[in-house]
Amino acid sequence: MWQWLYRLGSPKLFYDMTTGFLPWLTIVTYFLLIVGLVWGLGFVPPDYQMGDNFRIAYIHIPMSVGAMGIYAMMACMAAMHMIWNIKLADLVARSCAALGATYCALSLVTGSLWGKPTWGTYWIWDARLTSMLILLFVFIAIMALRSAYDSENSGSKAASVLTLVGVVNLPIIHYSVVWWNTLHQGDSILGVSSQSANPPEVWSPAFFVGLGLIGFFFQALIRRTRNEILLHERRSQWVQQLLTSKQLQE
Amino acid sequence: MPQFQFDSLGDFLSMGGDAFFVWGAYAFFAVSMIWHIIQPGMQRRKVIRLVRARMQRDQQ
Repeated sequence: MWQWLYRLGSPKLFYDMTTGFLPWLTIVTYFLLIVGLVWGLGFVPPDYQMGDNFRIAYIHIPMSVGAMGIYAMMACMAAMHMIWNIKLADLVARSCAALGATYCALSLVTGSLWGKPTWGTYWIWDARLTSMLILLFVFIAIMALRSAYDSENSGSKAASVLTLVGVVNLPIIHYSVVWWNTLHQGDSILGVSSQSANPPEVWSPAFFVGLGLIGFFFQALIRRTRNEILLHERRSQWVQQLLTSKQLQE
Repeated sequence: MPQFQFDSLGDFLSMGGDAFFVWGAYAFFAVSMIWHIIQPGMQRRKVIRLVRARMQRDQQ
């Protein structure tokens, strides 16, 4: 098991494996996103109370879950970097931050644009919204802290520690709608029959968009990590060979 | 098969009167996604140029 982990931590192996995998992931991602978004925007019946503005949910919910998922993954990478000193884990964590911040910001912006027609306000300091805003600040703080150090190693260590401390926010976000009386609704229960409050006709597109956004995250993460690998492994023989060959386009 | 829920294109674009909110949310989404499609490519060009320049400098 340890050998497997060690092998997976090799930047060269990661680079070689993702070269063939990336185009396929990208194709599947765009297919899922287009199907889910067209379906959600045009082919789901309007909500009996909210009318058509509930269509914002098809990006709002996957973005919110995604932002938390990205944070959890970034924290695992930070832990791997701290415990086993795996350099690749740090490069992945570095690439996670910008994507996580984007997902989190989009969750807040789309939620705000949904709040105005349904709640009558763009923003309220309720526990769910506030804890999500803190998550955005944590993402930004991690990026800022990393770039504040002259030494890259010190920056990585500081960012890893802050990432692990920030994990405390994840259960707070998740349980905020249970622990406190919030304007934000609790988790919706997805029904399996057409008679339930959330029938499959309504949530199926969100499933496609959700998978599409997971795919989008991983393809963007892989592209960013490959850049980081080229930069950080520039003294290694395989990168030098790769860059000397004419086939590699800019 | 799911049916298209709007009578016309104008009806679709107006989103039952919530066009600003729905299309606003989707516009923010689209712009952010496009940025994350373009940005890694720009970063890659920059990195390759930088590393190639350093390799040339080291050879001299």
